[in-house]
Amino acid sequence: MAKVAREMVEMTGVDVDELIELLVTNAAAELTTYYYYTILRANLIGLDGETIKEIAETARIEDRNHFEAIIPRIYELGGKLPESMVDFHNMSACPPASLPKKANDVQALLKVLVEAERCAVRGYTHVCNLTAGKDHRTYDLAQSILNEEIEHESWFSEFLGEGPSGHFLRRGDTSPFVSKFLK
Amino acid sequence: MRVFTGEELKKYNGSKGVSYIAYAGKVYDVSKSFQWKKGVHQIRHHAGRDLTRALKQAPHHPDLLFKFPVVGKLAD
Repeated sequence: MAKVAREMVEMTGVDVDELIELLVTNAAAELTTYYYYTILRANLIGLDGETIKEIAETARIEDRNHFEAIIPRIYELGGKLPESMVDFHNMSACPPASLPKKANDVQALLKVLVEAERCAVRGYTHVCNLTAGKDHRTYDLAQSILNEEIEHESWFSEFLGEGPSGHFLRRGDTSPFVSKFLK
Repeated sequence: MRVFTGEELKKYNGSKGVSYIAYAGKVYDVSKSFQWKKGVHQIRHHAGRDLTRALKQAPHHPDLLFKFPVVGKLAD
């Protein structure tokens, strides 16, 4: 635990225990999404599915990166992960990104993907709003993750034809915003 | 349509599996929402309350609520 780091956040009026709980539920959302995206990716087949597979894989890996990036902040603030993986899964901030009943329906798969990303965008916006100007490190972390989640949302939204975003597939390494927390 | 007082609304705080929240004078049943498990949303919001003011600061529009059944009105 980083005692003074926690004190500094407490002094700004942020409820640190509440913040830790939020970070844990968002970490759970990232890891469970990583898991469920693994199943979605495996089912992205055929001409339409293969078109989306690579970008879904990037989102999957970046969500795992988000999980990795959040964990140190939880412990710095004096929090911890639940011992039970089942408990961790069930406290996720977002619903399971489950495979649609018709697994070869690529449109339905895309809707699952975009809804998962939208849940994440809302979640990290919430964390940013709570920490802006108060908890600089958590804000920086949440904002970095938010940048990537917004791009993920845009990718899948474009595949659904909802409108252009101007984003492209990653060139080079994954997690351009969050990688600084992973070194 | 049933009219809830603030005290009546408090009973539907999720502790018995039923979560109602009020917004803009209407009472919504969010018991089946993933985001309202055990009557709590995003750690800080609790069922059984009028969340009209809180929703103004939420990172989403109120229309996310509109898919849930309206079970009554909140008394003035």
